[in-house]
Amino acid sequence: MVDPNQMSRNQRLRHDRLTFYKEDIDRIDKLLAEFLRLSGAKCALLIDKDGHLVTKRGELRTVDIDTISALVAGSFAATKEMARLLGEEEFTAMFHQGQRDNIQLSLVGDRTLLTILFDDRTTVGMVRLYAGETAKKLADIYSDAINREPTAGSELNEEYGTDAKKTLDKLFD
Amino acid sequence: MVQINFALKEVNCKVVFYGPGMSGKTTNLEIVHQKAPDENKGELTSISTDGDRTLFFDFMPLDLGNVAGMRTKFQLYTVPGQVYYNSTRKLVLQGVDGIIFVADSDPDKMDENVESYANLIENLAEYGKDIRELPHVIQYNKRDLPNALPVAEIDKIMNKFGVPTFEAVAYTGEGVFPTLKTLAAMVLESIEKIDGRNPRKAAPTSTPATEAAPVAAHASASPRAVAAKPAGAVGRAPRRTRGARPAAATAAGAKGAPRRRRAGAPPAGGARRGARPANAGRRAVAVTASKKGGIGLVVGLTVMLLVAAAGVAYFFLGNPPF
Repeated sequence: MVDPNQMSRNQRLRHDRLTFYKEDIDRIDKLLAEFLRLSGAKCALLIDKDGHLVTKRGELRTVDIDTISALVAGSFAATKEMARLLGEEEFTAMFHQGQRDNIQLSLVGDRTLLTILFDDRTTVGMVRLYAGETAKKLADIYSDAINREPTAGSELNEEYGTDAKKTLDKLFD
Repeated sequence: MVQINFALKEVNCKVVFYGPGMSGKTTNLEIVHQKAPDENKGELTSISTDGDRTLFFDFMPLDLGNVAGMRTKFQLYTVPGQVYYNSTRKLVLQGVDGIIFVADSDPDKMDENVESYANLIENLAEYGKDIRELPHVIQYNKRDLPNALPVAEIDKIMNKFGVPTFEAVAYTGEGVFPTLKTLAAMVLESIEKIDGRNPRKAAPTSTPATEAAPVAAHASASPRAVAAKPAGAVGRAPRRTRGARPAAATAAGAKGAPRRRRAGAPPAGGARRGARPANAGRRAVAVTASKKGGIGLVVGLTVMLLVAAAGVAYFFLGNPPF
């Protein structure tokens, strides 16, 4: 990764903001699909630390992914505080065991969480093994994404601000 | 921070209701949940105590729908107001894009209001954020109290930075939507300001011309990151530390580095840089070992030669030479 002090302005903006471009997400989706095939897990969600979904692959019964994402991020943030109290910087993995479904969380890079849902069709060992490998590959994709130029045409529409005002008027008035 | 996802065609923003305990933060969120159209709202989730006091946060997604081709969503959070929950309150502030400070109009609660606002400033500072750079509004809640402090007086006490303020009686819904609407507009405007194509919001003149185009294409940048460099620089340093400094940290023998590597955190380049000192060390040890081996071999051969010479002399001369 490029030293932030040495970054070009463009690189710095990409580094400071969470922007995901289609080709990066395509690569990530492919990687997550392969992970699900190898590990036998049901669903893989990539969530940023602020609680927003980045992408998902696999089956998920609940439709409220926004809430799942917020709770995962909150849960991870809480364990980070626990880690700090114990003198660790942060815990890089978490595991929640249920009667039927389980969740494994792994920190990827410094901003996203790989959240894996799996049941008794596989084992926690398999999931952890492949999650570790996937996390490394995802970190590589992030690194590539930061270091290359943004995709041409990937920008907010010029009308975004005006349109946003109209939408707010419609929703709140 | 605002997440712009061109693959999902989504813009996600995080808004936090902040303020002292019992000032009406959760009530605000409940009213938004009650009154927002079904197609725009998600579930209201609360992590609260048995006594219905917020323990960690309340959360509700609010979907504005399609805005210029991007589905724009707000994640609305409240924090626990009680003083002793500061660690969880701080966690909820991570990555916040806009704040609604809910103040209590009760004259006896002014100290709590002031203390909570100071706590907000302090907690934001820990994330490297300056409240003056962050979209925020203040809501004076409980205006129906018979002894509610006049707005002009609360304003003097609370509104140090001249931000928009709103009167509210949250449990009746009065003032709740106007507060949220103004804050939402401020947050979305902060996204728009990023756009370098707009002359009034262009990048600083010191920026090389060659870099202006990519920046213009970069609608994800924060105006805070562009315009408020001192705050931004300080603010994002800790985050970048986690992402970009493992190389240096590893080189210095920092403990955290191997753990990061297992988690796949540092990029390949960082790992390589980090591994250098260890490799160099291993090489140095190998060189020393081979030198020692050579000396041992020479000494061994000399001794063997002397013994052999003595044996030959004894054999031919009939007595040992020494």
